[in-house]
Amino acid sequence: MVKKLITEDTRMFLTGNETIAYAANAAEAEFMYGYPITPQNEIMHTWCKLLPKTEAGFLQTEDEISAGFSTIGGILAGKRAFTATAGPGNVIMQDAQSMAEMMRIPFVCAVMQRGGPSTATVIYAQQETRLTCFGGNGEGFRIVYSTAGHQDLYDYMIKSFNTAWKYRFPTFMLADGYQGKMREPVTLYDPASRGIKMEPTPAVLRAPGKIDVDRKANHIRNTFNLEEELMEVLDSYQAEFDRIAPEIEEYLEYKAEDAEILIIAHGIVARSAMTAVDELRAKGIKAGLFRPITLRPLAVKPLRNAVSRAKQVLFTESANGQLAQMILEKIYGLTTPYSTLFKMGVGVTGDDIVQKVESMVKTPATV
Amino acid sequence: MARTRIVLAGEGGQGVQSIAKILVEAGYEAGKEILYIPNFGVEQRGGVSIAFCQVADEKIGEPRFSKGDIVIMLSDRAIDRCSAYVNENSTVIYDSSVCSTKPTCKAKEIIAVEANKIANEQLSARVFNIIVLGVLLSATNVLKLDDIKNAMEMALGKKFDAKPELRELNYKALEMGMNMIQKAGV
Repeated sequence: MVKKLITEDTRMFLTGNETIAYAANAAEAEFMYGYPITPQNEIMHTWCKLLPKTEAGFLQTEDEISAGFSTIGGILAGKRAFTATAGPGNVIMQDAQSMAEMMRIPFVCAVMQRGGPSTATVIYAQQETRLTCFGGNGEGFRIVYSTAGHQDLYDYMIKSFNTAWKYRFPTFMLADGYQGKMREPVTLYDPASRGIKMEPTPAVLRAPGKIDVDRKANHIRNTFNLEEELMEVLDSYQAEFDRIAPEIEEYLEYKAEDAEILIIAHGIVARSAMTAVDELRAKGIKAGLFRPITLRPLAVKPLRNAVSRAKQVLFTESANGQLAQMILEKIYGLTTPYSTLFKMGVGVTGDDIVQKVESMVKTPATV
Repeated sequence: MARTRIVLAGEGGQGVQSIAKILVEAGYEAGKEILYIPNFGVEQRGGVSIAFCQVADEKIGEPRFSKGDIVIMLSDRAIDRCSAYVNENSTVIYDSSVCSTKPTCKAKEIIAVEANKIANEQLSARVFNIIVLGVLLSATNVLKLDDIKNAMEMALGKKFDAKPELRELNYKALEMGMNMIQKAGV
């Protein structure tokens, strides 16, 4: 058993990366596997710095391919294990992440997005949205939480473990370099004090008991001989993913009820949008925000309702419309016109959004 | 809502992030809402290092802002990079003993200080950034000197204990920086 460091509510002034390490410990995570890449290094550093007190484990592998597969190994052995990565590291970890989808392994990974393609910047972006939701040679049987600040990082890191182990789909906490590196106050707590019970983590390999006497054999497949065999399994995964989606979907509306211009943004950009909504409301412009918290699965019904109510929609991202593409497909058939504010690999400020919405009031969108 | 947006920019190695950390730690300890983003490239030294800091009385929304209330520029390249964060409401402070030109951006006020020269001639090159912190303290006027001293103690206390004269040197630098410009709003 690992030792939990946070036993009572504690207010701290931390970076996001530090917050994630503390959250993993609060969730009683036993092992982290990882390979250094900016801007997520301090998750590993903090996790390691705390090891003498937590008595948890850590392995630095030779690359992210190995980090991903090692994480899978730890999980199969019944450890609440996790990893974290970013940018090119996220790219080369896709093979392991796909395997986790195929074998229904409760893989947990924090993604701290940086600019792309390739090495690009070490700073910030929202350009790994599509990759994290749909990467690998599969269908995106993944659960993805997009966070908007340190309290979210703490809350959703803990939640990611439970979601993964309960539903057995790989679960990602999608954050970014700003959230990883920035410092702001955050309240750390023991999950038990919030009524959160950690899901048990039974071993798949070398599980206790004699096969065919005490228990059935655990047979999880990653290889199929026939096309139809594969499709049968994937159809069942899709049906399961659709069935559990309503239990997992999360979103946040901010002054969206009577919004004439609805801003759709996720992650840290949604926070800038909240600043913008307040400024626009003060100027008499009825703006509101719809922020999907789960990007996989998306909360489609509330999203369609919010879009239907609005006169115009604004998509804004630090990417060239990766979320917008996912959403446009889900709101097919609705005719609310939309406009876009995309800054590839660059932060979106409140001012940026205020100016864009003001221009939409003057010249409404026609698309 | 009272919110002060600060852009602090210089060459990597000038100690920009070190003083930003002291500033935000002081703000946090004083009960302010704080948001600090260090902006950096892949280099260990050199390149422009920028700290985006916000100090507010209420919860902060946007992590990045378009224009700073106070923009400090400590090198020629910092002037080039950070003029974009300046508008007619910004106060720009630059080090005229480092920069070869005066910033040409349109600002409320452009103030020259000679932190580098004074550090070298009167104190020590090592406390250049602490002089700048003093300048920043006066320019923002949202934090108390004692808050900053406490935060300095948290960051540098061990070094101070080993060499007490360093504490005096840093306090002196802080004070000289504070006196280089007029306190904001006074």
